[in-house]
Amino acid sequence: MDVSRRTLLKAQAAAAAAAVAGIDLPAEAQNLAAGEDIALKWSKAPCRFCGTGCGVMVGVKDGRVVATHGDMQAEVNRGLNCVKGYFLSKIMYGSDRLTQPLMRMRNGKFDKNAELRPVSWDQAFDEMARQWKRVLREKGPKAVGMFGSGQWTIFEGYAATKLMRAGFRSNNLDPNARHCMASAAVGFIRTFGMDEPMGCYDDFEHADAFVLWGSNMAEMHPILWTRVIDRRLSAPHVRIATLSTYEHRTTELSDQALIFQPGTDLAILNFVANHIIQTGAVNRDFVERHVNFRVANTDIGYGLRPEHVLEQRAAHANEAAVSQPSNFEAYARMVGEYTLERTAELTGVSRERLLTLAKMYADPKTKVMSLWTMGFNQHVRGVWANHLVYNIHLLTGKISEPGNSPFSLTGQPSACGTAREVGTFSHRLPADMQVNNPEHRKHAEGIWKLPPGLLNGEIGYHAVQQDRMLKDGKLNAYWIMCNNNLQTAPNTNAETYPGYRNPANFVVCSDPYPTVTAMAADVVLPTAMWVEKEGAYGNAERRTHMWRQLVNAPGEARSDLWQLMEFSKRFTTDEAWAPEILAAHPEYRGKSLFDVLWRNGSVDRFGLDETAADHDNVESRRFGFYVQKGLFEEYASFGRGHGHDLAPFDRYHEVRGLRWPVVDGKETRWRYREGHDPYVEKGAGWQFYGNPDRRAVVMAAPYEPPAEAPDQEYDLWLVTGRVLEHWHSGSMTMRVPELYRAFTGAVLFMHPDDAQKRGLRRGQEVRIVSRRGEIRSRVETRGRNKMPPGRVFVPFFDASQLINKATLDATDPISKQTDFKKCAVKVIGVAMTERGAD
Amino acid sequence: MAAIAKAWSWFRVNPWVLTATRPPVTLSLAFLTLGGFVAGVLFWGGFNTVLEHTNTEAFCTSCHEMKSNVFEELKGTIHYANRSGVRATCPDCHVPHRWTDKIARKMQASKEVWGHIFGSIDTRDKFLDLRRHLAEHEWARMKANDSLECRNCHSAQSMDVSKQNPRAAAAHEKDLFSGGKTCIDCHKGIAHKLPNMQGVPGWQ
Amino acid sequence: MRRLVLSAWAGAACLVAGALLAQEAPRLTGPEPFTKETPAPPMQRQVTDDVRRKRNYPDQPPLIPHAIEGYALDLNANKCLACHARKFTEQSQAPMISVTHYQDREGNTLGGVSPRRYSCLACHVPQTGAKPLVPNTFVDMDALVEREPRGR
Repeated sequence: MDVSRRTLLKAQAAAAAAAVAGIDLPAEAQNLAAGEDIALKWSKAPCRFCGTGCGVMVGVKDGRVVATHGDMQAEVNRGLNCVKGYFLSKIMYGSDRLTQPLMRMRNGKFDKNAELRPVSWDQAFDEMARQWKRVLREKGPKAVGMFGSGQWTIFEGYAATKLMRAGFRSNNLDPNARHCMASAAVGFIRTFGMDEPMGCYDDFEHADAFVLWGSNMAEMHPILWTRVIDRRLSAPHVRIATLSTYEHRTTELSDQALIFQPGTDLAILNFVANHIIQTGAVNRDFVERHVNFRVANTDIGYGLRPEHVLEQRAAHANEAAVSQPSNFEAYARMVGEYTLERTAELTGVSRERLLTLAKMYADPKTKVMSLWTMGFNQHVRGVWANHLVYNIHLLTGKISEPGNSPFSLTGQPSACGTAREVGTFSHRLPADMQVNNPEHRKHAEGIWKLPPGLLNGEIGYHAVQQDRMLKDGKLNAYWIMCNNNLQTAPNTNAETYPGYRNPANFVVCSDPYPTVTAMAADVVLPTAMWVEKEGAYGNAERRTHMWRQLVNAPGEARSDLWQLMEFSKRFTTDEAWAPEILAAHPEYRGKSLFDVLWRNGSVDRFGLDETAADHDNVESRRFGFYVQKGLFEEYASFGRGHGHDLAPFDRYHEVRGLRWPVVDGKETRWRYREGHDPYVEKGAGWQFYGNPDRRAVVMAAPYEPPAEAPDQEYDLWLVTGRVLEHWHSGSMTMRVPELYRAFTGAVLFMHPDDAQKRGLRRGQEVRIVSRRGEIRSRVETRGRNKMPPGRVFVPFFDASQLINKATLDATDPISKQTDFKKCAVKVIGVAMTERGAD
Repeated sequence: MAAIAKAWSWFRVNPWVLTATRPPVTLSLAFLTLGGFVAGVLFWGGFNTVLEHTNTEAFCTSCHEMKSNVFEELKGTIHYANRSGVRATCPDCHVPHRWTDKIARKMQASKEVWGHIFGSIDTRDKFLDLRRHLAEHEWARMKANDSLECRNCHSAQSMDVSKQNPRAAAAHEKDLFSGGKTCIDCHKGIAHKLPNMQGVPGWQ
Repeated sequence: MRRLVLSAWAGAACLVAGALLAQEAPRLTGPEPFTKETPAPPMQRQVTDDVRRKRNYPDQPPLIPHAIEGYALDLNANKCLACHARKFTEQSQAPMISVTHYQDREGNTLGGVSPRRYSCLACHVPQTGAKPLVPNTFVDMDALVEREPRGR
C-alpha cells in the first residue's frame, strides 16, 4: 500500500470516529452485529505505566483504541494487568488533550508574563530557536538544558541524547529517572561495573524467600506481586519479609513486617552481614574467587546547596563517591559494630524479627530474592543501601542463579531502556559509557560520524542541580519532555518554580495534557502519547519490547521524537558548534543539525518500504526514512559485542520482548553466571565482567542519619509516594474517571493517636507544614497505609495538593537522587488556625 | 484425717475465732444491724467500684498485650471512629452485661492475668501465634450467647432495612431475622484482624 | 473537506477543554498561581449501592459497587473470596470471579482459585461518587459498531 493512500484511509477513519462522539444509538438496530462490524484490530504493546513492563493487547476500531487486555503471550504478566493497565484504553482521551502548541503571547509577540495562547508549530519552533541561539551565543552550551524521561521511548531518548550532546554540545540532559533510579544505577556500576540486574523475573518462581527492602510491591508493582504471592501460596515453605517505615498492603501479605526508624535500614543490612560472618555462613570460596573489598568515604553530606550548613560540616561532601581498597577482616570489623542489641535499639525492630531475617540470608539452602525500589533509591544514602544488599548476596554467593537474586525494581516503563541503557543522564553515553571518559567520547563520535573532539567532556547538571541553576539564572533555555517536574521535584516552592518563572529563562514543556509544569512553561508543545507513535521500552529485567503506531494523535499533537528531529532543522552547525571544530573539519560547515545528526548515512539508511504496511508511522512519513529503525540500529551498535547486545530491530516487533544481552538470537536470563551468560568463560563459575578483574565489590559503609529529622516544632516524619490507582503525577490516570473515582484525592495518612494528640479526626482538613512550604489535605486514619505514631504519608499524584512544596531537596551525594521519604513536618488543623486568627 | 482434726481444733481455740463467735455484750442490736448494713454497702460499693474499674478501656489497655495488639487494631475500624461518634469500648463487646455472666467472665479473666504475668503473648509474634486460639474463644462465647454483646447495641428489631445497603439488607432478611444465623457467624474480624481462617466455615 | 471536519472537531475540543480548565484547574493543573494554597475538598464518599456498572470493554475488570472498608485481604484471610469464590456464590448471590481466575500462568485450569489472583484489589477497585474532573472522550465499541447501519 502506498503511503498517500494509507494516509487517506487513516484520515477517513479519524473523521468517522470524530463524527461519532455525541451521536445517539440509531433507532433501527440490527439483531446482532457480526462479521466486519465487530472485528477489532488487535496489536501488542507494553503498558504505558511502570517498570514491570507488562504486555497488553490493544484493540482498535475506526482509528480509536476501544479495548485493552493483558497479553497472554507476554511472559511478564501472562494475561494479567493491574487496574491502571486495564484502563489504558482511556488514558489518551481526556477531553483536555493539548492539540495545538501554546505560547505566552502579547501583541503577537512572545512575552513571558502573558497568558498561554494557541500558536502554530512554526511560531513555537521559531521562537524556541531564536531563544536557543541567543543563549548559545551569549552563554554557550552550559546554559541550555533538557529534562527528559524514563517514559520516553528508546528512540526518543536516543534522539535527545544526540541532539543535546552532539547538536548543542551540552551534557545538561537528565531524565526524571534521576528522581527514581539513580541510586540503583550508580550502585550497579560501582559494584559490578555494569548497570542493571543480573537476574530476571524468572527468579520469582525459584526463590524460597523474598525480602522487600523499602518496596510496597502490592501497590507499586502489582503484577510482579502476583508472581510473588503465587509462589508464596503455591509453595508453603516460602516466606516473605517486608521492611518498611510503615505498614501497607504489602506488609499485610507478608509473613514478617519489620517496621524500622527512617534511615536505619543501613544498620539492619550491616547487622545481617555481621550475622552471616559471626555464624560462619560466609561462602569463602565464592568470596575468595569473585569479590574485592573496598571501604567507602564516610560523612559525605546530603547533596544540598554547597553553602548549606550540613554540607559545610560534612568531612567528605566533595569526595562522596571516593572509596579505598580494603579486605575481609577490616570489613568484618566494621560490620561487627552492628550487634543484635545495638541494631534492635537503633532501628526499633524486635530482636526476634531481626534474627529471623538474618537467618533467611545465612541459610545456604534458602534461595533469597531481595527486592527494592524507592525506599532504597530515594534515600540520602541510597547508593550505600544498594551496596549493602549486594554485600549480603556476595558474602553468601547467592547471586546470578535462579532464585538467588538481588533485584532492583524499576519505577518507570523505560527507566532501564531509555534513561540508563541509552544514557540520558548528565554523565552518561549509550551502553554504560561516561561523558568524562575521552575514550568513550571518541567511540561515540565515531559511531555518530561526527568530528573528533566535538563532544563535551564536562558532566552536565543533574535534575536537582538543573532546578538550582534555573533559579540562579545560569541555565536559560530549558526543554522539559515527558514528565511533570514541577509536581514531582523536591522543594518546588523554593527551588523549582522560581527557576521556571525567572525572567532570564525560556522554558518549554512538551506534554499531552496541561499539567502543572506545562501551565508554568513559556511554550507548551502538544505531544503524541503511547500507541500514537511507534515505540520501544526497556523494563526492569533487561527486556526490550516494541510496539507499532496504532492510532493517530489528536489535532496537531506530535511525538517527542518528531519534535526533537524537527527542531534540529532550525540550527546549522555554525550556530551550534565551536568555530575551531568547524575550522578543523570544514566539511561539516553550513549543514543543519538535522543533516549531521540524522541524515548521516546511518540513521537514514532504512527506507519507508521497511515500515509496517498495516500501520502508520508519522515520523518516518515526515522525514522520508524509517526513523525508528535507523535510530535503533545505530544505537544498538554501541552495545553489540560489549555485553549489551540487542537483537535486530525487526525481531522485536515479532516477539514479546527479549532480555539483553541477546547473543546468537538467544536472550540471557542470568548474567555473570556460567551456563546462563555467554560472556562468562567455561570453568569460571561466575564472572562479573563489567569490572576489569571480573570481580564484584563488597563496599563497607556505615549507618549515617538522614538530612532532616523531626524535632520539637516539626515533629513528624513525612514520607511521600504513589498509590496503586494513579501513575506518578496523575496526568493520565486522573483523567480516567474510573481511576479518579478509585482514589479521588490525596490524603494525609496518620496514626489515630497522632490525630487525637492534635485534636484531629478522620476527614478533617489540615495544613501540612515544613520549613520550606505547606499544603492543605485531609486526615486519613483508616486507609491502606497504617502509619506508626510519629510518621505521616502523603501521595504526590494530586495536583491540588502539591506535597513537594514541603519536601527537602536533599539527595544522595553520590547518585544525586532526591530523598522523598524523609523530612520533618508539622500538622495543624485548618479550623484551629482559622479560629486562632480571629 | 488426723491432720484435719488437728487443724479444726486449732481453729476452734483461736482467740479471734472465739471472739467472733461469742454473742455481743456491749453493742446494741441497732448498731450491729446498721453497722452491718453500712459495712455491707462499703464492701459492695468497693467491690463494684473495682469491678467497674476493670470494666474500662483504660484498664484493658493498661496491659501492653492489649494496647499494642487488639486495641491498636480496633483504632482502624468503625467501632472506634464513625459518623456519629458513638463507639464501642473493649468491655462493650467482651464483657457480658448481666451480673452473673459478668462475674463468670471476670473469673475467667484471672487466666489472662496469669498469662500477663508469665508473658504468654508478650511479643507481637507470640500473640500472632495464639491469635486463632484466642479468637475461637470469643467466637464460641458469642455463638453460645447468640451474639448478646452485639445485640446490646444492634437490636435486630430496631433495624430499618430500607436504610441498609441492599447487600446487607438481603443478608439480614434471609439469615438474621429468620433466626438462621447470629451476628458473629458473618461479622468476624470487624474490630480486630482475623487469624488464619483456614477451615473456618464460610471462608476460602 | 475531511481535513476541515478534522480541524473543526479539534477546534471544538480545544474550546471545551479551555472552558473546563477554568473550572477544574487545581486538581489537574495545580493552583493558580502555583504558590497559592488551595483548600482541600472534603473526602469523597464511597459508592455502596450494589448496582453493577457497565464495563468499558469486555476485558475490563468489574468495579466494586459496595463497601470494602475493613475487609481482610492478607495471608490469613481473603474476605472477597468469602462471597465471590465459586463455592460461596449461591449462598451470597454475588457474581462469581471469572473462569480466568481459576487458571495458572500457563492457562491450565485449576481445581481452585489461582494463587496469582489472590490480590483482588490490584485490579478491582471501589468508587467514590466524585464527578470526573474532565470528561473522557473514549468511545464505546458498541457506538462504533451500531452506528454503521445508518451509513449504509
